[in-house]
Amino acid sequence: MSRRYDSRTTIFSPEGRLYQVEYAMEAIGNAGSAIGLLSKDAVVLVGEKKVTSKLLQTSTSTEKMYKIDDHVACAVAGIMSDANILINTARVQAQRYTFAYQEPMPVEQLVQSLCDTKQGYTQFGGLRPFGVSFLFAGWDKNYGFQLYMSDPSGNYSGWKAAAIGANNQAAQSMLKQDYKDDITREEAVQLALKVLSKTMDSTSLTSEKLELAEVFLTPSGSVKYQVCSPESLSKLLLKFGVTQPATEAS
Amino acid sequence: MQIFEYNGSALVAMVGKNCFAIASDRRLGVQLQTIATDFQRISKIHDRLFLGLSGLATDAQTLYQRLVFRHKLYQLREERDMKPETFANLVSAILYEKRFGPYFCQPVIAGLGDEDKPFICTMDSIGAKELAKDFVVAGTASESLYGACESMFKEDMEPEELFETVSQALLSSVDRDCLSGWGGHVYVVTPTEVKERILKGRMD
Repeated sequence: MSRRYDSRTTIFSPEGRLYQVEYAMEAIGNAGSAIGLLSKDAVVLVGEKKVTSKLLQTSTSTEKMYKIDDHVACAVAGIMSDANILINTARVQAQRYTFAYQEPMPVEQLVQSLCDTKQGYTQFGGLRPFGVSFLFAGWDKNYGFQLYMSDPSGNYSGWKAAAIGANNQAAQSMLKQDYKDDITREEAVQLALKVLSKTMDSTSLTSEKLELAEVFLTPSGSVKYQVCSPESLSKLLLKFGVTQPATEAS
Repeated sequence: MQIFEYNGSALVAMVGKNCFAIASDRRLGVQLQTIATDFQRISKIHDRLFLGLSGLATDAQTLYQRLVFRHKLYQLREERDMKPETFANLVSAILYEKRFGPYFCQPVIAGLGDEDKPFICTMDSIGAKELAKDFVVAGTASESLYGACESMFKEDMEPEELFETVSQALLSSVDRDCLSGWGGHVYVVTPTEVKERILKGRMD
């Protein structure tokens, strides 16, 4: 029955669903997962790198985490080429705001502005929606640390802990059980790594398969976005007892 | 009324041994009236690149904000800071975009490029670049500055000596210009640190 209502983005089905948007979310369900956690003094983002091969040219750029502005970063799940377009749009929007108002763009306004762009692709133009979900982590002077999740429909909401990508249902329920409101930055990193290690379906967990980034305030009071280096990440994995050694060839 | 002389300004940048200095006056005026004596004419683009903008203050502010916009996006996309030579080309392009309705500014760009080699340049208000090996000047006091720098400049000065030279050149030149002065602001940049100093000169 859905055949007649699912090949155009701009029409509803008789049950009131937008099939193309739902299909986009399906595409994301197959992508590498990402988890975000809000703590008292930082926002933590952890991502699973799906593409690991010895042949990959190593570079310092990240695959899952991107800086949008000095005070906002995001983790992506889904089609990377779609994500690149949206990240660029978000960066330009943040700079336009700063140009006009000479202050950093509030996090929610940035998320909303990007979601407005995404929504446009579900209502007019005849173009397909973006196959990306985002976790936005940021700090502004009005609301402090914030975490937002947005999906292809252009909906967004603020979260204390959220997961996107593969096995996000399992990750979300684990987070619901273990998350406490007054969690500290180190506890948040530990919880994020623990949950991700349980929901990832790879047999060995090493720092090559993960990315960890944090948005926090430096002692001088400015916001900083920092990606954890592979060496520090390995140490953290060992410290929290989350590393599983690579299975020996039997 | 000359538009370039509306607010008054003096800017100079000088090359030393693996370092550079960029200095400006501190007066902001509206023709003959002095409005502020702590006006910042030099801005940091990143740790190794400084931009000074002389001329009409409102255009200097807007131009600076536009350049920050472009540089921030460059940093995010390329994951590195802009080289001074590249930045100079960007400024030149942005100024030429407004060829028939220009920004009334004369920029002075100073930075450390590859291998910590100092780079300075200036350009006119529509983007004609002037690269120099020794010093560049801009502003209402530029004629005096040319003379002072030409006589005081020596090659390969160390940071401390460079600071003294730039300061003397700036202060003696702005003293001959009624539209600039009220002290000086000097940045001496080496590969390891940035030293910012305020000069007290004739406060008139």
